[in-house]
Amino acid sequence: MSPIPIPIDGGAVLTPLQAGMTLTPLQAAILAFVLGCALVAAVLRDVLGVIIASAAYSLGIAVLWVILRAPDVALTEAAVGAGVTTLLFLLTIAKTVRPSDERRLELPSPRTAVVVLAFVAVLAATVPAMPAIGSPDAPVVDSRVTEYYLENAYEQTEVKNVVTAVLAAYRGFDTLGEAVVVFAAGVAVLLVLKREVFV
Amino acid sequence: MIDLLLTRYNYVAVVLLLGIGAYMIIESTNLVKKVVGLNIFQTGIFLFFITSAYRVGGSPPVLTNEGPYVSPLPHVLILTAIVVGVSLTAVALALIVRIHAEYGTLDEDVLREVRANE
Repeated sequence: MSPIPIPIDGGAVLTPLQAGMTLTPLQAAILAFVLGCALVAAVLRDVLGVIIASAAYSLGIAVLWVILRAPDVALTEAAVGAGVTTLLFLLTIAKTVRPSDERRLELPSPRTAVVVLAFVAVLAATVPAMPAIGSPDAPVVDSRVTEYYLENAYEQTEVKNVVTAVLAAYRGFDTLGEAVVVFAAGVAVLLVLKREVFV
Repeated sequence: MIDLLLTRYNYVAVVLLLGIGAYMIIESTNLVKKVVGLNIFQTGIFLFFITSAYRVGGSPPVLTNEGPYVSPLPHVLILTAIVVGVSLTAVALALIVRIHAEYGTLDEDVLREVRANE
């Protein structure tokens, strides 16, 4: 992705711009698409429009995961985020109503604008403290946990996909907990809808 | 400032997505739109995690590729979070369907009036 060669150990001190990945046009386009879809979802009043925008948003995010070298997450996002979630939303509006309103756009009230802008300002203040994107000495990439998994995963689990190895072996109980959550959610949905089959 | 934007653009996007998500949760009176807002907020946090795992020139953490690899741990956490998020969405939407069956509306303000009059 980046044409700049990076000395891993030793070498000259890197400026943040050299150490990190610079913004490519593809990245910029995807980010703009994702943020645009989110904005459209936020201002539209028609719920069907909001759902379509959020499905497009999910798909854009899935592409972003591929660019960030997370294929497993991208597959899950495309199947579950863009697929199943959209289906659930569509089923919901099929069973309820689409509000028919004269206004097509939803514009912010001053009260909400103040709260959200304050929230964004506080979060934005933390951005300069983050390591440059893709920097090899960023805390997560450089951590001993990451090194341990990458070095020992194949030897200990005989699975070449480290994400699968961590998901199903090292953090197997975590995944069991996830399955319990899905089961509980299924039971809750059936209970709330007072029926045995969700059609 | 420009330098910051060019090296930490994903984190800027995270901040904006969290803002948009929070805005939808607070401002929208339609319950379905609030749930869409929750999903956008959640994806903003996912973007934060996956970005933190990235390294320049890294390949996906599959050992048939050549190293260096990106960090696998945040990917695992986010995989779990995506599935949990869908479960959460399903329960929220089931509650919304039930609310509509009971009260005939999905608008928060109307719902509040109807409940006050009961």
